[in-house]
Amino acid sequence: MAILMTHGLKKYYGKEPNLVRALDGVDVKIETGEFVAVVGMSGSGKSTLLHMLGGLDKPTDGKVIIDGHELAEMTDEQLTIFRRRNVGFVFQSYNLVPILSVYENIVLPIELDGNTVDQSFVDEIIDMLGLSEKKNNLPGMLSGGQQQRAAIARALAAKPSVLLADEPTGNLDSKTSQDVLGVLKMTSTQFHQTMMMITHNEHIAQLADRVIHIEDGKIKGKAGMK
Amino acid sequence: MSIYIISAAAIACCILTIIFCRRYVMKAFNAIDMVLDRILSKDTSLFSDTTGENRISKLTHKARRIMDRNVSEVAQTKEEKETIQGFISDMSHQMKTPLSGISMYADLLLEGNLSVEEQNEFLSRVKSSTDKLQWMMDSLIKMSRLEVGAIQLTPVSENIRHTISDAIGSVVAAASMKNINISVADFEDTPLYHDKRWTREAIANVLENAVKYSVPDSEIEVSVELLPLYTKIVITDHGIGVDKSDWNMIFKRFYRGQSVKDNEGAGLGLYLAVLIMEKQGGYIMVDSIPGDFTSFSLFLQNCKK
Repeated sequence: MAILMTHGLKKYYGKEPNLVRALDGVDVKIETGEFVAVVGMSGSGKSTLLHMLGGLDKPTDGKVIIDGHELAEMTDEQLTIFRRRNVGFVFQSYNLVPILSVYENIVLPIELDGNTVDQSFVDEIIDMLGLSEKKNNLPGMLSGGQQQRAAIARALAAKPSVLLADEPTGNLDSKTSQDVLGVLKMTSTQFHQTMMMITHNEHIAQLADRVIHIEDGKIKGKAGMK
Repeated sequence: MSIYIISAAAIACCILTIIFCRRYVMKAFNAIDMVLDRILSKDTSLFSDTTGENRISKLTHKARRIMDRNVSEVAQTKEEKETIQGFISDMSHQMKTPLSGISMYADLLLEGNLSVEEQNEFLSRVKSSTDKLQWMMDSLIKMSRLEVGAIQLTPVSENIRHTISDAIGSVVAAASMKNINISVADFEDTPLYHDKRWTREAIANVLENAVKYSVPDSEIEVSVELLPLYTKIVITDHGIGVDKSDWNMIFKRFYRGQSVKDNEGAGLGLYLAVLIMEKQGGYIMVDSIPGDFTSFSLFLQNCKK
C-alpha cells in the first residue's frame, strides 16, 4: 500500500530568465514499511523533495499525497496538525530543544498533540537507541551521535506514517555515522516504519531497500515508482 | 419567601445542569459510536476529519490509524505468502540447471561406449551437481524459515572472538587451496549480543565470498572495531571488487553482480548473511574499489549495560 506518492511534482523559484527548477516533474511512490534512500548531489533537488513531502513547503505544480490525503487541499492549520500526527522529521542538525531534557524532547510532539504518552513504547525506543542513561540530561551534555539518536527517538515516538531524514549523518564523524545508520535501519525493520532518507552519500544509501537517484530536479530511471 | 425562590432556582439549575450534562454525554457517546461503526465498516472514505483540534477529530484520527494498522498487517501476511511462493518458484528455477546436467550425464553414462576417463569425468560432474543442489536446498530452507520467523535466533551476550575463529575455521581449507592467507588484527575480546551458531554462519558466508572472488596468493584481513552502539567486524579481500552501482543490489536474493557471472554461486550467501544480522538488530555494509579491495562490515549490537 503506497503511503507516500507524488505526481508530476514541480517547484520553481524566481522568474525567467533566472528560473530555478528545483523539482521538475517528480513521480515517486513509497510503500508502507519501505526504507528508501534518495541520493543526489548538492542542488539536485533532494532537500526540496523532502520539504514538499513533509508539507513544509507548497509545490508550484503537481500533487503530494500522504496516507491518502492530498496536502494541497489543506489549510495551513490543518497541515500543521497533519504533519504533527503523521510525519516524523530527523534533520542534519538534530534540532533538539536545548532547555528540555532528552526525555522531554522525545515526548514533546505527543504532548503537543494532547495525547497520552505510550510509556512502554517510549521506554523501548530509548533503550533501543542506547539513551537510557542519558534520558534526563539536557541535549548540551550529549555527544553529536547521542543527540541525533535522541532526534530519531523523538521522530519515532509519535509513530508517524512516514519518517523523513535529511542527511541524518551529515554532521557526524564516520564512527558515529555508522551507529546512527544502524539505528535507523534497525528501527525501520523492527517497527515496520516507513522511512525516507536523503543524502549525497552513496555509501550509506546502500542500507535502504530501494535507492532513488535525483539529478537536476528529476528522478533518474524508473526507481521512483516501485 | 426568598428561601423558596432560591431553592427553586437551585433546583432549576440542577435540573438544567443534569439535562446539559446528559446531552453532552449522549453526544460524545454517539460520536464515539459513529467512529466505531466506521472502523467496523472498514470504509476509509468516511474518515474525513482527522485534522481538527477537537476530541472527535483526535478519535477519528486514531481510529483511522487502527484501521491502517489492520490493513498493513493483512498486507504483511499476504507479502509473506508471496515471499514463500517466490522462494518456491526461485528454487525450482535455480534447480533446473543442475538437474538437467545430472539427467544428461546419466543418459550419456547409460548409453555406454565411454572410456573410463569419460565415465569418471561425467560421474564427478553428476556428483558436483548434486552437491550444488544439496547446498542450495539447505540454504533455501534456512532462508525461508528465517524469513517467516519459523526459526528464532536466540542472541545472548557472548564473546565474539570464538565465533569469528569458528567461522574462519570453516573456510580455511578453501582458502589454502588458493594460497590465500586469512589474518586477524589484534582486538580486545568483547561480549556481543549475538546468536553464536547463526552469526558464525553469516561471517562464514562473507568469508566464502571473499575467498571465492579473491585472486590466488592474496590476503584476507579480518578486524574488529568497537563503536558506541555497535561492534564492527570487517572482512577485507583484494579480489575483483564490487562496483558502486551494485552495492545496494548484492544483498538481494539470487542477485549476482555483473562481473561474477562466470563464477559458481547462487546469489544466496550475502542475502542469508544480511537476514541473520538483521534478526539480531545488526546490519551489513560494503565498500569497494573494483580491482583493489572489497570490505564487508558486519555490525552487531553491543551488550547494553
